[in-house]
Amino acid sequence: MAREATIVAPAARPLLSRRARERLTGYCYLIPVVLALGGTVLFPILKAMQMSLYHNVLIKPQEYGYVGLANYVRLVHDETFWLSLWNSVLWVFGSVVFQFVGGFAAALLLHHPFRGRTIVRTITLLPWIIPGVVVALIWEFIYQPNYGLLNDVLSRIGWMSERVAWLANPDLAMPAVIVANIWRGVPFFAIMLLAGLQSIPTELYEAARVDGASVGQRFWFITLPMLKPIIVVATATRIVWTFNYADLIFVMTSGGPANATQITSTYTLLQAYSNLDFGYAATLSVALLLIMLGFTVFYLRVTRGLEGTS
Amino acid sequence: MSRAPGRDWTERVLAGPVLWVALAALTLFAIAPFVWVLLASFKTRAELYATPIVYLPASLSVANYVDAWTSKLTPFSRFFANSLWVSSVTMVATTAVSILAGYALARFRFAGRHTFLLVFLATQMFPAVLLIAPLLSQWHALGLIDTYQALIYSNFSFTVPFTVWMLVGYFESIPRELEESAMLDGCTNFGALCRIILPLAAPGVAATAIFAFVASWSELLFAITFTSRAEMRTLSAGLLFMVGQYEIQWGQLSAGVIISTVPVAILFTYLQRHLIQGLSAGAVKG
Repeated sequence: MAREATIVAPAARPLLSRRARERLTGYCYLIPVVLALGGTVLFPILKAMQMSLYHNVLIKPQEYGYVGLANYVRLVHDETFWLSLWNSVLWVFGSVVFQFVGGFAAALLLHHPFRGRTIVRTITLLPWIIPGVVVALIWEFIYQPNYGLLNDVLSRIGWMSERVAWLANPDLAMPAVIVANIWRGVPFFAIMLLAGLQSIPTELYEAARVDGASVGQRFWFITLPMLKPIIVVATATRIVWTFNYADLIFVMTSGGPANATQITSTYTLLQAYSNLDFGYAATLSVALLLIMLGFTVFYLRVTRGLEGTS
Repeated sequence: MSRAPGRDWTERVLAGPVLWVALAALTLFAIAPFVWVLLASFKTRAELYATPIVYLPASLSVANYVDAWTSKLTPFSRFFANSLWVSSVTMVATTAVSILAGYALARFRFAGRHTFLLVFLATQMFPAVLLIAPLLSQWHALGLIDTYQALIYSNFSFTVPFTVWMLVGYFESIPRELEESAMLDGCTNFGALCRIILPLAAPGVAATAIFAFVASWSELLFAITFTSRAEMRTLSAGLLFMVGQYEIQWGQLSAGVIISTVPVAILFTYLQRHLIQGLSAGAVKG
């Protein structure tokens, strides 16, 4: 035994301890992800910070130059930026509240066992998975003033005498895009809350029924408290996601008419995409970044709070 | 005892008529827009622009599909192939990258692990619009405008954070003892990951892969910003480009909408269950 050890030990003893090897393997496995996100998220964010200090309009290269904080001064005085923030609040609030209510109702309905439930479930969840541009085009077609679905239905049932240009009217454009977004987002809440409902033990309901609790009481004292973690997380996720979401408005109205549907993310997009004003677009990116960091802190606090209570 | 009949009555109404009416309304709300566009895709030009609206096309003409598919200006066959390629490569690369990262974060304890997890969470919250300006100038500098690479790399920014996050959860649910015994039998760490963990995590990995595919398939903003030539457009970008023409061809456009929707709808039907589990698992963990 001892002889064998003296012979074998020098070759067999690993160069590094098990712990060190594990750590090294761990870092090696992370190299691809660091490259992937470093090149597409981290570096671009640093680049945006640098770009925000330059005047950089692609079609006016002769004006290119370092301007310090001039872009930020412009941002603070930019009325469209502040309007877009307010529009973002309306957009997020209107979308998420109705998505939540609709999604909750859908989840309760789809939780009931009935014949053909799988098919109905798949159909109702579809709007969530299809490309954003498809959602936008479908609704643009529905809102089309002359041969769109909505005007025709409303005039047939006698609620409307004159054709309405939904997306061209500054008062109606925002509600119109919000309705399209509700259609898209209801399935998200339905899917999350349905998963939550399915994880509630049925014994709880049976026990409550034996104790004489009504439908409403069972909902209020069992369903809601049991779903609370999912409700909080899903809503927080959705708020952030809706705030960021630019595709729908960009395709349907491009922020118009007269900036009535201009939210901060479409405004940022348009500065880069249409105006080719990269310096200012980068400044808006940095502003968005700060807002997102605020959201992240808020999100972590909310979810940490949940862990504490459960 | 006296309250019992009333309670039963409320329940019966809720589970009977109310349930059915609400279900019908829900299904109608979800499906009516699809049906509307599907019908439009079969209509002739005259039927599309008729007043009052003609709801049912006289015949199921596929002319709009043929026109969209073979059009010179907006070739949907080309867009479809582009989308398929970009989404497939993104899917494979994203899955490979996130299996390694997810495994490392689930199994090894090393300095900075917690920071990594936080970064993945935070990155999920970053909007694509934030990256448009810097990425465009970056791809421009690297000469990658109008290439598939630019789209595929850019897609990592939103697929990878989510898939890593999901896979960490899957890997953590697999007992550690399984690979430890494999490694005692002489397997390397990587061997244990490939032979023991991956087969067990296969449903989760498949769900993550499909997520990456569907997300890239839907991507619009990178696709319109980082390409300028028509033959490099993906389906989403192609659809938008079609709207930009002088007059919207709703017939062809509807056909294009249906073409873009069908693949993801099929994948989603398969994915549904896994995604629900993954989402709720990730959500509860926060």
